[in-house]
Amino acid sequence: MNLYTDTIFKLSFVRGTLEAAIVRGKTGIFMEIMQDIPFTYDSRVEPGVWRCDALHYATICQRVREAGYHFEDNVPRWRQVRWENPKIPPLRPEQKEAVNAWMPGKRGVIVMPTGAGKTEVALYIMRELVAATLIVSPVRDLMYQWHRRILNGLGYDAGIIGDNIYKDYPVSVTTYDSAFIHMDKLGANFQLIIFDECHHLPGESRREAALMSAAPMRLGLTATPERADERHIDLDRLIGPLVYHLPIASVRGTTLADYDIVRIPVHLSQEEQERYNTASRRVREYIILKKKDDPSFDWLDLMAETANDPEARAAQTAFYLKQSIQDRAEEKFRVLEDIFRIHIGEPLMIFTGSNAMARDISCRFLVPCLLNHCGKRERMEVLDGFKNNVYPALVANQVLDEGVDIPGAKVAVVVGGGTSSRQAKQRLGRILRKKGNKRGILYEVVCEETGEVQRSRQRRRSDAYQGTRHQRI
Amino acid sequence: MLTREHAISEYKDGRIFPDRLTRQNHAHYVGYAEQMLEIYREGKGEMRKELHHRVHAIFKDEPGCPPRRIDSFCKLLDDVSTYDRDKGKKSAALRIHVFRLAAPFHPLVRSVDRLFDHSEDTVKAKIAAELKKDWPQIEEGMFADVKECHRLKEFKGYAGGEELLSRYNVAQAQATLFRAVKMVVWVGSDFKTILRYAKLARLIHTIQPLEPGRYRFIFEGPASILRNTRRYGIYMAKFLPALLACSDWKMEARIQTRRKGFTAAFQLSTTDKLKSHLPGPEEFDSSFEEAFAGKWGDETREGWRLVREGGILQKGQKVFIPDFVLEHEDGRRVYLEIVGFWTPEYLQAKFENLQVFKEHHILVAAAEAVADKIPGLPDNAILFKSSLNIKDVLSRLN
Repeated sequence: MNLYTDTIFKLSFVRGTLEAAIVRGKTGIFMEIMQDIPFTYDSRVEPGVWRCDALHYATICQRVREAGYHFEDNVPRWRQVRWENPKIPPLRPEQKEAVNAWMPGKRGVIVMPTGAGKTEVALYIMRELVAATLIVSPVRDLMYQWHRRILNGLGYDAGIIGDNIYKDYPVSVTTYDSAFIHMDKLGANFQLIIFDECHHLPGESRREAALMSAAPMRLGLTATPERADERHIDLDRLIGPLVYHLPIASVRGTTLADYDIVRIPVHLSQEEQERYNTASRRVREYIILKKKDDPSFDWLDLMAETANDPEARAAQTAFYLKQSIQDRAEEKFRVLEDIFRIHIGEPLMIFTGSNAMARDISCRFLVPCLLNHCGKRERMEVLDGFKNNVYPALVANQVLDEGVDIPGAKVAVVVGGGTSSRQAKQRLGRILRKKGNKRGILYEVVCEETGEVQRSRQRRRSDAYQGTRHQRI
Repeated sequence: MLTREHAISEYKDGRIFPDRLTRQNHAHYVGYAEQMLEIYREGKGEMRKELHHRVHAIFKDEPGCPPRRIDSFCKLLDDVSTYDRDKGKKSAALRIHVFRLAAPFHPLVRSVDRLFDHSEDTVKAKIAAELKKDWPQIEEGMFADVKECHRLKEFKGYAGGEELLSRYNVAQAQATLFRAVKMVVWVGSDFKTILRYAKLARLIHTIQPLEPGRYRFIFEGPASILRNTRRYGIYMAKFLPALLACSDWKMEARIQTRRKGFTAAFQLSTTDKLKSHLPGPEEFDSSFEEAFAGKWGDETREGWRLVREGGILQKGQKVFIPDFVLEHEDGRRVYLEIVGFWTPEYLQAKFENLQVFKEHHILVAAAEAVADKIPGLPDNAILFKSSLNIKDVLSRLN
């Protein structure tokens, strides 16, 4: 075969897309080979090129190879990687199964419950492949956690792209938001891309992180692949097929700790209740007044009205005040005090519904809180201190909601927070890490006679909570 | 600049209208704006949340003012403010110190019993004594690095209430463009500046000539032909102030709506009179050109007529806009480019660009002082000392 005559096009990575410049006279062959790849002719540049998303790089290579032709490949800018001193613990059987399921195609999604060791699976794959790798995670804290795990596991000081840092190393960590902004520059730099908590990826903008990357090898990790908007089916195209699924029930009590859920109702103090009632009345009166004119008037209409009506704005403020009174109810502090007494000597995680409440608890009990303004060093100091029992408890808002691992925490308290099933599962995951035969406990501290009761009921409907004991103290 | 969370807009008949304060409907906002500026001017040492709270209070009884509008004002005021952000991480160090001191006494209880005898008050008093500070002082210092607790250090401000309001109007138009998938601009005399700024904003252009001296520019990004993407909206937003500083144009951008697959049109033109904070383009780019155009005048000399910026030569994303076109009565066209005193890098780029358009008749005139610094200066270039002579140009033309 004559290499020169069989070269049919030149492929380059340009700002998140691939440009194919066809060799004169080869258009027919090109069209035939690429028929299922969505190339579009772009006459805005001179000479014109065929353009497609960088996502299709691996398929293009495969098509050309299969057809027995050649192309000039200017896409890869993958840099050399070397692991200094990898120290990865041996995998458990289910982790090994996950690796074996992903390895043949080197594209696909692995679903494992929180606490089953997804990170170790990814680190194992990275160690085997020794390829330029980008890890995309939902929040800064997770990004830093990956950085730490790569340092500890593979002895590599990974680059960081995000949190006002731009260090593009052969192995780097980033967030979905930064990936959206920078992927048009980074897309050809990595051979392997790992999407952590990949249920986030199919969002309208976030998916661009996958579309604009030319990485032929793709790994998605999640505990909860389903999305309410059904977009998770796109993961197949953006990452690859579901290659491994370990349901939560199959590991409960074996790899993960068993757990109880204890609901503790609290009441508002008389003063709080009065303020709460005043605020409630204000909201109710406004809605009743509006319903006279428009029987279908509801909360959403109220939000829309805030633009035009100072009364609506006052009602909205009253609503937020209600939430804040519930969120920061005085009795929650008394209950926390009791929980601290019961679990003295045990590491304890506290999740709050707001940053303000997290700071209130931190100030009241002088235990560290992790909020999104905390820097990398402080975060590491606090997490390490918690792990080594320097700190008895740790308070966090949503920052720690997903995947941040706190080894050894067996007791968690939820004081306020959202209702979604995913959040419930992720929060449970935090206390599920097995240590001896000790069962985990999740306390829910909920205001009685307020909207929080409703939310707790919704939370319990989530399948992570199914089959657990509910008790009141 | 605002963020997407600040954007306020209305839809009507397929068009989108960003929030705009007008002299007609919002004359009293000038007073509000002055009050806001006053709050910030007087607000040195205050916490961010306190300043925002006061700004919100101004609008307490104002009907028809969406909360996002007030948040936008706060953002625009913060944009020209400097806050003390605790760069030295004093707060973090203090927190860690306090938590470590308190850890052995955990839990800090309100009701002391035999098992748990560390009361909150005594432990806090003990820590305060150790740190030689009051407890309230310590508590405030512990979270001084939280964004809403930052204290105002300096306020650069805006020239006045009117300026704040016109900045607001532009900022809302920009916020709408964040969701833009495509921008079309119809241009006249300022096409050169408009094109230059669009290129600086990393937008890809398509140029369609209309009648002489008028063009239709389409601005988008590489992936725009593959799918509707709003990833280039931010570039269009950054480009907007430059466009507003120009004259004789109209613009239409396609804006993604919440309904999937639907876009709305955002139209804007010089008649909307949005004010840019950028200076307008200079009428002449260099004094050499000005001098030469002045000397030549409107006359026809030996059959040649001088036309300023008579066109755009383009090849894909490369464009060349010569300073003048010389048109002969017999239909011949020669482009004239006058090179004054520029940096070597600029000149290098300029002549590399010229190579792309070498099939056109381009006459280059360069100042002698820079001629030897220009790599690839054409052999037939006209050199001049202090100003370009008409005689030299005519002799080369013939």
